[in-house]
Amino acid sequence: MRGFAAFARKEVLEIVRTWRLWVLPGIVLFFALTGPVMARFTPEILRAVASDQLGQFTLPDPTYADAYTGWIKNLSQIVLFALIIVYGGIVSSERRSGTAVLVLTKPVSRGAFILAKATVHSAFLAMLVVAGTLVTWGGTAIVFGEAPGGALWSASLAWLVFGILFVALMTLLSVVISPTAGAAGAGLGAYALVSIAALWTPLGTYSPAALTGVPTSLALGKSVETFWPVCTALLLAAALVALAVAAFRRKEL
Amino acid sequence: MSLAIRTSGLTKTYGEHRALDNVDLEVEEGSIFGFLGPNGAGKTTLLRMLTGLARPTSGGVQILGRDVTAVDDSIRARIGFLPDVPGFYDWMTAEEFLRFVGRLFAIDRRTLDERVGMLLGLAGLTDVTTAIGGYSRGMKQRLGVAQALINAPQLLLLDEPTSALDPMGRRDVLEMLSSLRGRTTVFFSTHILADVERVCDTVAILDHGRVVAHGPIQELTSRYAERKVILEVTDAAGGLAEDISREPWATSVAVGPTGALEITVTDMDAARRAIPVLVANRHTGLCRMDAGELGLEDVFVSLVGGGTR
Repeated sequence: MRGFAAFARKEVLEIVRTWRLWVLPGIVLFFALTGPVMARFTPEILRAVASDQLGQFTLPDPTYADAYTGWIKNLSQIVLFALIIVYGGIVSSERRSGTAVLVLTKPVSRGAFILAKATVHSAFLAMLVVAGTLVTWGGTAIVFGEAPGGALWSASLAWLVFGILFVALMTLLSVVISPTAGAAGAGLGAYALVSIAALWTPLGTYSPAALTGVPTSLALGKSVETFWPVCTALLLAAALVALAVAAFRRKEL
Repeated sequence: MSLAIRTSGLTKTYGEHRALDNVDLEVEEGSIFGFLGPNGAGKTTLLRMLTGLARPTSGGVQILGRDVTAVDDSIRARIGFLPDVPGFYDWMTAEEFLRFVGRLFAIDRRTLDERVGMLLGLAGLTDVTTAIGGYSRGMKQRLGVAQALINAPQLLLLDEPTSALDPMGRRDVLEMLSSLRGRTTVFFSTHILADVERVCDTVAILDHGRVVAHGPIQELTSRYAERKVILEVTDAAGGLAEDISREPWATSVAVGPTGALEITVTDMDAARRAIPVLVANRHTGLCRMDAGELGLEDVFVSLVGGGTR
């Protein structure tokens, strides 16, 4: 696929040289650093500020599992929402600025253009999740004195698959919806639909919708079905990128 | 005759609006072709279709012998293109951008080093190390021309390449285009008539999506010059203009800036016989009467009406 490597290199440089280096990594690292500390001291803070309202209810002592579930919760909500907003313009911003016209009148296929973006940004997300998980793991070990790796890593990697699915979805939405806010809104709507779909047991067990809950279960050390949700999510991500390529080929620039 | 560009019956509509209407064009290889038209005439639309950025509603486009719908990377590798408002990655420097474009063409490193140095010099950006985001429009336009040349293209498509340039920049770009004559086919759209007269071999004039004239510049100007008479009289020019405008062979009479009458005629022989009689009837002196030397601007204005768009 001619032009893929050169364009992918540009995408990497663009991450390193622009605001993209700070927004998602900043959010991920902030929660990775503060998550274990918050998990450790949240019960004490609650006791200090609301002991009279707690009555006979006793807060359990915090464990490493609280840090893990906190990390996964932040990934599933704040990081995912930021990802949807940041990638709302992943393709349309290049169309608006005119850079897509300059690139696509060179020997670069529209397929290479889309695939390079989806690949580089999925890899970028993977690096962020790995870095954030490492920080959470280390922080949890320091704060709680124990941090079993299996639960945290399996949970983080399961969420990473969900994140990659949303990178693919936003690539498609950014092709078909020109305004960044419109694509981001559609992405948030898709997340809401997926969350609702997960309530139906078959979808909540075997489809990508299961990945809204699977990472938390894995973080708690529970045994849950991961093969089908991961496989279907990766297949759906590939299908979404293929759809994005097909839609982009039909677009006039 | 080998053709670099050929369009036949090319039409593009956006809803009810016909941006291009049955356009037939032939551009010879190695020529410098000026594509003239007022703003909104359809010049950019045609270039978008030549580059495959938009699809024709009907009709055909061939680029370097291939139908544009079948143009692939091997054909795009032989084309250089500058859009009317080039979009750059603002965080790159000029050199980084040229190297990026060179890599898209898979140009080897040594050749790319040479071309980047040469083109930065041509664009006057050799010592500019700041990011493109801080460039003036003229600097961006010069960089746009440079990136279009990075692959030493066989066909160079330029949309308004001199519109944002100062006189020196315009001169440099036109000289560069002129130097490509015979080696590269240059097709450029513009509304600056002087640029076309200066460097082009052939010109097409587009108005409301239709080609209203197409041919070598000299042929066009001489074709239209035969229909114009310049007349200078000693006095009573206003009354004489009224007399002439009533003649069936006169389509328009205008008083030029020097007081000379500019008469557009449909029958030159009839005009030559009748004008001296009309002058004599007015009892005025005849200073000069000749077929006017039309420039491209006159042809352009007469064909597209000269109205402000």
